[in-house]
Amino acid sequence: MCVLLAVAAMVSMTCGRRSAGVPPSNDLLIIGYDREPDTLNRFSTHILEDIQSCISEGLTTTDEQMQVVPLLAAEVPTLQNGGVQIRADGGMDVTWKLRPGVTWHDGTPLTSADVKFTVDAINGPNYNPESTDGFDRIRSVDTPDPLTAIVHYREVYAPFDIQFIRGVLPKHVLDGRDIDHAQDYNRNPLGTGPYRLAEWRAGEYILLERVPHYWRGDEYPRIRRLLFKFIANTNTRINQLANGEVHLVALVPWDKYGDIAGLRSILVHKTPGNAYEHVTLNERQFPPFADVRVRRALLHALDRERYTKTILDGLAPVAHGPIQPASWAYTDHVTRYRFDPVRARLLLEEAGWTLGANGIRQRDGRPLAFTLITQAGYAIRENVAQAIERQLRDVGVDVRVELHDGTAISAIWFEGRFDAMLHWWQMPSDPELTTFFAADRTPPAGRNINYFKDDELTRVLYASDRTVDRAERLRLLHRAQAMVADAVPELPLYTVTRLDAVPKTLQHFKGNPTNTGVFWNVHEWDIR
Amino acid sequence: MRLPALVLASLVGAAFAAPAIVRYPPDHLDLDARRQPPSAAHWFGTDDLGRDVVARVLYGARVSLGVGLLSAAVAGISGTGIGGVAGYAGGALDAVLMRGTDAMLAVPRLPLLMIAASILQPTVGVLVVLIGLAGWMETARVLRAEFMTLRTRGFVESARAAGAGHARLVMVHLLPNAAHALIVSVTLAVARGILLESALSFFGVGVRPPQASWGNMLYQAQSSLTTEPWLAVAPGLFILITTWSVNLVGDGLSRSRSSQP
Amino acid sequence: MCTFLGKRTLQTIPLLFVISAVVFLLIHAAPGGPLAIYLSNPNVRPEDIERLRRALGLDRPLWQQYWSWLAAFTRGDWGYSFSDGRLVASRILERVPASLELVGTSILVALALTLPVGIVAGVQRGRWFDRITTSAAVAGISLPAFWFGLLLQIVFASALGWLPSSGRTSPGMALSGAGTMGGVTDHVRHLLLPVTVLGVVQAAAWSRYLRASMIETLAQPFVLAAHARGLPMRDVVMRHALRHAIGSVLAIVMVDAALLVSGAVMTESVFAWPGLGSLFTEALARRDYSVLMALLMLTSTAIVVFNVAADALHAIVDPRIAR
Repeated sequence: MCVLLAVAAMVSMTCGRRSAGVPPSNDLLIIGYDREPDTLNRFSTHILEDIQSCISEGLTTTDEQMQVVPLLAAEVPTLQNGGVQIRADGGMDVTWKLRPGVTWHDGTPLTSADVKFTVDAINGPNYNPESTDGFDRIRSVDTPDPLTAIVHYREVYAPFDIQFIRGVLPKHVLDGRDIDHAQDYNRNPLGTGPYRLAEWRAGEYILLERVPHYWRGDEYPRIRRLLFKFIANTNTRINQLANGEVHLVALVPWDKYGDIAGLRSILVHKTPGNAYEHVTLNERQFPPFADVRVRRALLHALDRERYTKTILDGLAPVAHGPIQPASWAYTDHVTRYRFDPVRARLLLEEAGWTLGANGIRQRDGRPLAFTLITQAGYAIRENVAQAIERQLRDVGVDVRVELHDGTAISAIWFEGRFDAMLHWWQMPSDPELTTFFAADRTPPAGRNINYFKDDELTRVLYASDRTVDRAERLRLLHRAQAMVADAVPELPLYTVTRLDAVPKTLQHFKGNPTNTGVFWNVHEWDIR
Repeated sequence: MRLPALVLASLVGAAFAAPAIVRYPPDHLDLDARRQPPSAAHWFGTDDLGRDVVARVLYGARVSLGVGLLSAAVAGISGTGIGGVAGYAGGALDAVLMRGTDAMLAVPRLPLLMIAASILQPTVGVLVVLIGLAGWMETARVLRAEFMTLRTRGFVESARAAGAGHARLVMVHLLPNAAHALIVSVTLAVARGILLESALSFFGVGVRPPQASWGNMLYQAQSSLTTEPWLAVAPGLFILITTWSVNLVGDGLSRSRSSQP
Repeated sequence: MCTFLGKRTLQTIPLLFVISAVVFLLIHAAPGGPLAIYLSNPNVRPEDIERLRRALGLDRPLWQQYWSWLAAFTRGDWGYSFSDGRLVASRILERVPASLELVGTSILVALALTLPVGIVAGVQRGRWFDRITTSAAVAGISLPAFWFGLLLQIVFASALGWLPSSGRTSPGMALSGAGTMGGVTDHVRHLLLPVTVLGVVQAAAWSRYLRASMIETLAQPFVLAAHARGLPMRDVVMRHALRHAIGSVLAIVMVDAALLVSGAVMTESVFAWPGLGSLFTEALARRDYSVLMALLMLTSTAIVVFNVAADALHAIVDPRIAR
């Protein structure tokens, strides 16, 4: 009883009727974040680049137009400016010129030795980075002077310009150390960016503070402190936004759009994303998908226009292929499949699937029935899955929806143990399609989990990877998109739109469609 | 006691007769009539996909009542068996049974259920068995504690002295006097079973969409609590009515028993 | 009493070994592993996955992994987290204060509600107090924690603006350098809503046991006799009846309390509370085997210890049951 009384006394003492939070200002911006990072070492993780990118900068980054722009590099190397040279032996050399006058937060100058150290550390035995993609094709790095690093590739590698997008490792801190367990760096990295770590309270928040002398000039960054609060539960996160307890939430789930669109102090940025929701059809696991007529029929049976207008609240346009309008390689000269259940039934009949007594089609006594897996916990996705289930049943196809948690889903697709899967790929800024559609890139060698085999497409895709000539690459990628649209290896549904809720008083927020995240230009942000 | 029993019976009846009662199939989509407030056509409104909430609540009753009532029965029977024997026999048998119960208790319930359900594929039958198996340990511990207290009471000792056999001692003297704890435990198990199924839906291993259960309806409704409250009201109300009537039936049972000499 | 406790403790140790093997098998049987999260990054090559698998020792047979885990664990070495490479022990220790704070307060509140409500409702069965508390308890039992918590947030944080909706501290406030008193008040304000959820839900269930037990005990001949001897009702209830009624309630309170110690998973998630429950959710999502094993073994130990404590307490309150 005394406890209750004490609690009641506390309440009456402390609870005036007041707003729960402080308004955003150039002194403090509070960001509601869905999870806590495991490490701030950008080479050890691919998730949560936001906090990391405020501290550690890459040689290049991608801007809101998905263009690769220089950051710590003085310019992006190209064939035209002589930064890229194709060697006679089929390899290539990329010359990176570093921006002069950049120092690490401890005052040590950033040099080409750091670039060389990064490559050696990633390819060396003392470190287990998450990915060695691209680094594995580097033979050596030369450092003719402190601001020049020449990277020698064994073969032509088209996405060379984002090779160092995650930054470089400071040689003077990490040289000769076991980087996996260098917790002083991994928990509080030395960077060159506008912010450094001030405090990390496990399970609660990370606080970043501005560095006194940022290389862009002492007036940057304008916001003194950034506070990232970890709030895993979506409803709670949105509640905090509505109450003013947090000021900014990046990547708001769509089913929350209605809740935040009406908030007075909040602006919802919609960025057409570089990701597309689609249904993967696993031909190896469910052989009827190998028939192009069946795949086309399935796509004709889905009223995707209606999904985007209703379930998706008009936030996501219909997608027609793997490359989205935000990308420089996009083309809309591809076959489109309208909602046409009559045509769908006709195609299925043609393919030999006739209606059985129970309303389900069959051929040779086997039903056209498969399982559609998708990730649990996403209301929109569960709704889309149920709409698909319903519409395919209308044309005589039986679908069983199965939900799994994210980790299970990853393992299941990697092992190819599913019939069909509703999901999206977050595509990198480079429009490479090889890993998704080339015949030899089925897991574990790639992400062709349709187990789709088309020799001509495979040839075109590899050719597009092995050229650094933009125009030629564009031509090949357009060709590939048209071939994918014809063959329908998977059912594209809609382009994912990023929703970011930011304070109306925040200036210079630009958004970003790639996995670079929206904090890439945080130094410019200004609250007035 | 009559009224709550009647309510409970009609809930079960409605679940069985759902196809005859509802005007729409529970998986009938109408994307142009999403999230409609309650009306003459849809008494409890429509959900995110334009499905009739009445239909889903009644079909969902099959899953939720099934899971709730049957898992309570599993808890009651296995809990009484194990807890009763342990509390009555004492000694080595008690030690073995209770360490086994402790072991089951000590393996955390939710992950156990999640993993088991993801391996076995969650049909209604699987869920009933799993949730029932995961929920008898409290009952066993409560029953054992009760039996241990009762064993030392004068009337039990005199009955034993008078030559009553084990079966007679347990059935006539111990069990009826421990019934109050058993009844509370089993009543609570009904609500707990229904809510546990909701937690499983949260992790994606509950009943599969488009099948409905009160638990997954409630879970899905939380995101629109402020905008479409009716989606939460319907399943919430039915869970409340179920718990309420089960509680009163239980209370009535123990009252009618204790009024006998 | 001492031999009783000693015996129980000895019985406990092999039990914990068995549990550890079962739990180890179970979490490894769940689809996906610590590396699954990397698969979603298109830049991670199969060679990378193989390299990480070897580096983390996940390429060994399961029994070898279990054996080396067990050997290290019994030496007090809980290993490194699979997700961030830090010591498991330090990841767990940093969450303990928040957990104890939330769970300790909630159990106290729940007990403070259970005892008066259970006793009075039992004594005055069928009267207005019993009816009201019964309805409240039924409501409490029927509400999922995620729901009740959300409701409280909407009312007390969003609509009324009286309390912070979630979290453990206001970072803005801690930063503005408010005094110690301000810090304590801020803490209490954050505790109120989650403690209400946990306390009320537990009290709803516990008070039903106590009430039923009271009713049963009050009808017993020895209570009636005490009453007939002219003892005041108050003494009869507090001295005689409660002592007998408490056994089954103790059993359930201890089980529930032990489960709470390992983290109130749902409540912590709804209130973004940085305790062991949210650590468990994170570790489960990442299949962080070493953190999961440590947390689960902690839970199992807590349950076993609390059950021993329940039996011991029962024997103290009602000495006749001790052998």
